[in-house]
Amino acid sequence: MEESTDNLCVGIDLGTSRSSISASNGERYVIDSYVGWPVDMVARKLVKKQVLVGREALDNRPMLELRRPLERGIIKEGSRKDEEAVQEILRHLIALVGLKHKSKNRPKVRAVVGVPAEAFRVSKQRLRGVMEGIADSVMLVSEPFAVAYGMEALLHALVIDIGAGTADFCVMQGRYPTEEDQRTLPNAGDSIDEQLSKLVAERYPEAQFTIHMIRAWKEKWSYVGQPQGRVMITTPVKGKATELDITDEMRVACESILPPLTETMLDLLSKVTPDYQENVRNNVILAGGTSLIAGLPEAVQKYLGELGGGRATVVKDPVFAGSDGGLAIARDASPSDWEKLSLV
Amino acid sequence: MARVEQTKLQVLRGAVQDNFDILHGIKTRPATETPRPLRHWLWGLLLIAGMAYLATPASVVSIGKASSPSAPAPAPVVTSVRAAGEPDVIVSRPQPLNREVFPLSLKRIVIDPGHGGVQTGAVAESGLTEKEVTLDVALRLRRLLTDAPFEVLLTRDSDKTLALEKRVDFANSNSADLFVSIHVNWMEPRTIRGPETFFVGPTDDPLTMKLVSMENRDSKHSFADLRQALDKIYIDARRNESRTLAKTIQGQLYGFLKQGNAALENRGVKTAPFAVLMGTQMPAILVEVSCLSNSDEVKLLTNGEYREKIALALLEGIRSYANNINGLQRKGT
Repeated sequence: MEESTDNLCVGIDLGTSRSSISASNGERYVIDSYVGWPVDMVARKLVKKQVLVGREALDNRPMLELRRPLERGIIKEGSRKDEEAVQEILRHLIALVGLKHKSKNRPKVRAVVGVPAEAFRVSKQRLRGVMEGIADSVMLVSEPFAVAYGMEALLHALVIDIGAGTADFCVMQGRYPTEEDQRTLPNAGDSIDEQLSKLVAERYPEAQFTIHMIRAWKEKWSYVGQPQGRVMITTPVKGKATELDITDEMRVACESILPPLTETMLDLLSKVTPDYQENVRNNVILAGGTSLIAGLPEAVQKYLGELGGGRATVVKDPVFAGSDGGLAIARDASPSDWEKLSLV
Repeated sequence: MARVEQTKLQVLRGAVQDNFDILHGIKTRPATETPRPLRHWLWGLLLIAGMAYLATPASVVSIGKASSPSAPAPAPVVTSVRAAGEPDVIVSRPQPLNREVFPLSLKRIVIDPGHGGVQTGAVAESGLTEKEVTLDVALRLRRLLTDAPFEVLLTRDSDKTLALEKRVDFANSNSADLFVSIHVNWMEPRTIRGPETFFVGPTDDPLTMKLVSMENRDSKHSFADLRQALDKIYIDARRNESRTLAKTIQGQLYGFLKQGNAALENRGVKTAPFAVLMGTQMPAILVEVSCLSNSDEVKLLTNGEYREKIALALLEGIRSYANNINGLQRKGT
């Protein structure tokens, strides 16, 4: 609503695996949600920084105390270090869109941050606390709601935002979604990684790999249904680089999220007024990094067929759909709204 | 197009309001408060204790029904406990408090979300912690109690570590009329599910003993302290009020949660020496609202609607107990 140089509106999708920011000055960035602190003086000398964020942290991980501070889409419990790590991610994102921390003439930052649909109030309070000093006013919204708002899919739509930590569901019925309209599942990208890691280890007990390698394989070759080709990866076996076929393991791991996903979808659909259930079935929107699994919309659509037919589509830009939606909300909120949500 | 804009405005208003509510929910109470007069029930207890003390031999400590013209006080029932080589110690059995004679009023409730901060409490396999569930339910309960005719205080309203003694001190120093401690159970076998409510007293049930040792882990009491406190319980009429409150809350909780959850078991009202129940000076209960050891319960607990249902059940329990108390008071005045 209000655009001036005195204010900078940002939408932030704070993800377990990746975090993105979209700003009203046109800047958009996505980073890996990792933070690392040099483990000792030698490491500090080598990396030449007090703290590393994103890909840089991941690439230098042997020299760092590495943190992935978000779990199930919220700050991990009970650790001050993880709160600091989230602050570093947020500061980094804000700096990327051109704002220096504590700089003079810094515009007021109005931030909309996406959180899991069923985030506890206490988690929201903690996140709000962490945002102090980084943004001037903060609005926390559910991630699928941010996606829906950005796409103007506010009526008769079901948004499923599948990230790394959680899969978030939100039925839009022309009003701000209540708890009844939303669900959060822990079955998302990370659970696929765990499953894949287990399956590969079972089939190739001598293969050596890390969770980071598993994630990279999944991002490149994940699929459900029929494979496009064999999934061949190269990894050390007793120290020797070896090519392994993980086609079946990849399918089983990726398809492991389908039963809870479809069950939750049915649960939410059944709560929609019968007159509009068909409309909602025909407007199922998939977002989030994990929605990029090949064949996922078809699999969801196939299930919708069993319910009487429907249509599932993946948003054009799954990585930025949440932060773009957040930015749209931030822009549309009035100055008086922001005043109410001030952190200062 | 205009309709889309109108809908956007409407949902935006909802988002702002939701955030505003959360902000208000975390507001801390002002440090200075208007001093409140002593609770009626406390006066009642003191009066009963004083009268009973004057009316009985020095070796007998008794809190019984106060006498009234229409209801003469029964003779105190006493039990004798003799330890080897020690003189008789005569302790009276608790007598129910006659509410019609000493009208009680319920004006301030302390809700105690169990655990917090570094004390996570029970942790489900999914990572869901007892401390986050208890706080979430407590915050919901506080919101639901906003319109109730009594004040609600929380021992903690954020994720912070709080010693059991501090919780007790908080309730006592704020002169609370009721103390409700919210917890989530962890029990073997993991098929067990269902709420249970405790009021202070001894227990010989091994499952309850295990639970008590888990919940009391952060207490700094010595065994002697616990023993002394337990002895005091028997001369404390508030125990009867605690039992009534526990029964009311357990009934509401089971009744509410059983709907749509047929497998739920009513684990009933029990006595146990939880540290928070022993130190508090008002009717106090500890309610285990669910079981984090049961995967079906965990699934339900991750759903906000279910947590709201728990809060609503607790609200109804408190309301029902309060109506009984305040109703009797009105009748008497």
